[in-house]
Amino acid sequence: MKRKSIVIFTIAVIQLCGAFPNRILSEALSQTVISSWFEQLPEAPAGTMFSVGYSGKYQDVTIAEQVAINLALKNMAKQKQIQLIFEVEELADGKLRLLNPTFEQSYEESILIQIKNNFSIVDSLLTEDGYFILLAYPSTGKLSFDSTKPKVWGSQPEWIRELPTSKDWIYGVGIVARYSSWVRAWKDADEYARFDLGKNIEIEAESIHTVQRDDRFTIESKILRQSYDITLRNSVIVEGWYDAKRDIYYSLCRSAKQ
Amino acid sequence: MKKVLILAMLIPLALMLVNCGGGKPKAKMQEIPEWYLNPPQAEDVIYEAGDAAKMSMALAKEASDARARDGISRVIEVKVSNMLKNFMQQSGLGEDAEALEFTSSVSKQVANTVLRGCRIAKREMKTEGSQYHAYSLAEYNLNSLIQETLNEAKKQKALYNEAKANLSFDDLEKEIDKLEAIGE
Repeated sequence: MKRKSIVIFTIAVIQLCGAFPNRILSEALSQTVISSWFEQLPEAPAGTMFSVGYSGKYQDVTIAEQVAINLALKNMAKQKQIQLIFEVEELADGKLRLLNPTFEQSYEESILIQIKNNFSIVDSLLTEDGYFILLAYPSTGKLSFDSTKPKVWGSQPEWIRELPTSKDWIYGVGIVARYSSWVRAWKDADEYARFDLGKNIEIEAESIHTVQRDDRFTIESKILRQSYDITLRNSVIVEGWYDAKRDIYYSLCRSAKQ
Repeated sequence: MKKVLILAMLIPLALMLVNCGGGKPKAKMQEIPEWYLNPPQAEDVIYEAGDAAKMSMALAKEASDARARDGISRVIEVKVSNMLKNFMQQSGLGEDAEALEFTSSVSKQVANTVLRGCRIAKREMKTEGSQYHAYSLAEYNLNSLIQETLNEAKKQKALYNEAKANLSFDDLEKEIDKLEAIGE
């Protein structure tokens, strides 16, 4: 029992110091094969919306499928309409620096029920890492859509370094890293992308900076608060990219300018 | 058994000292984005850069974005108050007295504004040891600020016109009559 606790402690210390085991662990658990519509969502026909769902590895494929469908349905409901409340506070007094971001989101249960009653599966993919599904709402007949073959991640897209500019669209980027579960990582990256988009629309920014100087010292204090409460309609996760070398997940969210 | 335990406790400690020693890693100059050191300049756009180093990438991004946006808000609306104090102190007696001169200044910047369409145009994420260092470039198009002001002015004008339409000269005369009646 004692040995076990010491071993755990040793691993924890090595991981704290940023050594390699963390990366090996995350690479083993992250995804490598995907479908093309997971990397880049295709344009849906007029009057139709697409959404993507995914699940991790399950022994029972039907459960994996159901979990992926449930996530895709929730994503669709969020896509249609979502209320986002964001606030970040940063306090710094020269010695201490505190950062406290809060994220709140809510979507309508009635919209989710509407979608549940009228959706269709466009495509799905089962890989060694998990299950991927593409849904359409409202339910459509057979779409002229190429059923994609599994692929590996392409090269780094331009939107990671520079946010796209458009007269019609607003974008937001979500980034997360070092997750042991790729499912959790994508979920969070998608949510962060949506919140990032909200910030690019409207944000209230308040701050107080004080600088106190005397003959010997300079003390800088800062209180910063930024917040918004916004309802987004038709905000879609249009692209995703995984940096396998650095274990970083990126999501791009897009919404029409209102 | 005790020796084994002590050894087991010392190994992680040694690893910690080897791997974590030397304090916080600093960003290498060549890795800092050019746009962070020299933000672009334009007549119609305000650019401000921000950065933050955190263990969590998501937190690093939040902090650097917030700092870049704060830079924009401070450029747009800043109330600055400065205070300068001079102290002269003398201690001791006669020729042994020591005069101390002490200068202290305090400056305070307060900003409070709503940013519409302020976007993080560029972002880079670097790794420094086990930390993520995020660099963000916020961009605020002044045309949107002008448009916003124009829209607000239009709204105000519409409100004024509406109030004017509701308040006719007849109504005004009636109000004056009422006041005169009270005066009598």
